[in-house]
Amino acid sequence: MEQFLQALVLGLLIGGVYALMASGLTLVFGVMNVVNVAHGATLVGVAMLTWWVWNATGVDPLLIGIVLVPVMFGVGWVAYRGVISRISTESVSMSVLLTFGIALTVEGVLNVVAGNKFRSATPSYFDESLRVGGLILPKAQVYGVTLALVTLLALYVVLTHTWTGRAIRATSQNPSGAALVGISAAGTSALTFAIGTATTAVGGSILSVLYPFFPASHYDWISRLLGIIVLGGMGSLPGALVGALLLGVAETMTATYGSLQWATVVFYVAILIVLLFRPEGLFGSRLREDVA
Amino acid sequence: MTFGHNPARRSTVAALSVVALVGVAACGTPESEKESSDAGPITIGISLPLTGDFSQPGTQAKRGYEVWADMVNEQGGILGRDVKLKITDDASNQDTVVADYTRLITQDKVDLVLGTFSSLLNFPASAVAEKNQMVFVEPAGGAPEMFTRGFKYLFFAQQATAQHQADIFVKYIEGLPESARPKTAAYPTQDDPFTRPVIESMQKQLEGMGVKTVYSEVYPADTTNFQSTAVTIAGKKPDLIAQGAVFEDGIGLVRSLQQVGYTPKMLFQTSAPSNAGQYSSGIGEANTDGVFYTVSWNENAETPNNAEFVKAYADAYENETPAEDAADAFAAAEVLQKGVEEVGSIDQTKIADYLHENEVETILGPLTWDETGAPQSEFLLAQWQDGKVEIVGPEEAATTDETIDVKPEWK
Repeated sequence: MEQFLQALVLGLLIGGVYALMASGLTLVFGVMNVVNVAHGATLVGVAMLTWWVWNATGVDPLLIGIVLVPVMFGVGWVAYRGVISRISTESVSMSVLLTFGIALTVEGVLNVVAGNKFRSATPSYFDESLRVGGLILPKAQVYGVTLALVTLLALYVVLTHTWTGRAIRATSQNPSGAALVGISAAGTSALTFAIGTATTAVGGSILSVLYPFFPASHYDWISRLLGIIVLGGMGSLPGALVGALLLGVAETMTATYGSLQWATVVFYVAILIVLLFRPEGLFGSRLREDVA
Repeated sequence: MTFGHNPARRSTVAALSVVALVGVAACGTPESEKESSDAGPITIGISLPLTGDFSQPGTQAKRGYEVWADMVNEQGGILGRDVKLKITDDASNQDTVVADYTRLITQDKVDLVLGTFSSLLNFPASAVAEKNQMVFVEPAGGAPEMFTRGFKYLFFAQQATAQHQADIFVKYIEGLPESARPKTAAYPTQDDPFTRPVIESMQKQLEGMGVKTVYSEVYPADTTNFQSTAVTIAGKKPDLIAQGAVFEDGIGLVRSLQQVGYTPKMLFQTSAPSNAGQYSSGIGEANTDGVFYTVSWNENAETPNNAEFVKAYADAYENETPAEDAADAFAAAEVLQKGVEEVGSIDQTKIADYLHENEVETILGPLTWDETGAPQSEFLLAQWQDGKVEIVGPEEAATTDETIDVKPEWK
């Protein structure tokens, strides 16, 4: 029983962080119909920046992440205005190509500027754990997941309780209807992309503490995050949360009770099975276009 | 809340698969006897993973080759001709590496080729070279499968293939008094052609000595979370943990063991601890104490040209110490150079015959090969001591005669 609880708790802790990382990706897809393949590269870029500031100043990496939120918001806004907006009327495949190009550029720049090396931030608590009963809760993971959940909650409140958030959701549900009541599609898209990018500030700083990374790490991350949002339903925020928690728990349960070798495969098998019965994913909505 | 007004969801999937479809397959045509012009430089074709998954070791290998070429050219080249490297990027992709070597050999008509990095890439690349009857000296790629194909032109420029990489560690354990030997052991390993055979062969040898296996698991390369593994292993209390770790996974497991609070009496990891600074900063320098690994090269080894190599590398790259991968590449180039110089011409078959029959001195030490190109020496056993790496075996290469036989608790 304790073994089961331990695996469950570890899985939820891992999944909570994945959820935050996937939230920006699913938001941008839902509102703008853009599959942002550069999301993983942005996370790794933030991780690198966090590491660099941490290494130079000793400030806690998670705190650095919070400070970086407005910075990454700005980066996202500029990226949208400068590049992404140019393909706003193109098909979704264009967005994949464009953002894949951005991902390669970010990787290349990181290679040149930061060097092709593994890094990881090691604040004092990185190898310590909280013990609750017989359960082991790694501190870094607990802090990371707490920060992730607070960020997700903030995102949820913004989307549901502010005019900006309502405009974003309206644009996502019915762009022409939203335009009729005076919501600017371009402005909303810029805002969405900026918010999506801002989530990587916190996600990337958590990554720098929990996982060693180097410039090419983004391939692993983007494939994992795409898996999560496909399972949850592309464009659904609760879907991303549930998908991420499922991935985390599937990993730890398989590692504990099955074989470590299958730990990462089980999740993708779960995606296949879910898509067989619900092609739109767990929380995705079926549209008239999909049925036709 | 659900977002989405997407009329073309299916095309998303299609677009994603486009991303995966980067790569060109190509097939080689046999090279007819090359008429080597005696004028002009000798060109050596190399394809390396300069981007993608293996970009890190690939970049190091490139530096090793370049330092070698500069040193050779300063000394008047090979056979009186300058050496020119033609290096292309295969993006860590098997199809691209095949296309690259095919082009280098059949279109660019390079005089010689040198190997790429990792068994994964050297496996198909060496087949292209073999088909074109070009000598293929590889700086990495010790997976057992490399040497079961009966290739005549393949040579692995390290001391031993993967199955024999940990022999020296087993020997060390054998040399300990009965009471100091581990009684139980855990063997987690990444499913990597260069780590898995090391650990599997070690497990077999140690079981033969009566060390009981309490845990043995293979995990895929994309495994990032090791907490539940650490909990499971800690529950079995093994004296020895021997991990087939590439890099991140080595850091990941050690960190998780620290979080769980379990210190094994002995810790062995394959490649991860050889990444000096990156390893010690990843797990905390104090925690490196006592970690064992095997390695092909040491910066302080008194092998011919080693000091010159370390110095030339430091001069070229901001006083950095070469990584093992750079040294291996340098050694591979030394092997090829020796072959060409001894034969006195660029005759691929004669060079291959020479290397099959003779010992070659390199910065890694002397190397010899059997008829499949598998090397016949042994690796160095290294251990982290006081934040530094020491070579503890074999005796003639050791930098200290002290070993830490019981690993101190995590700090």
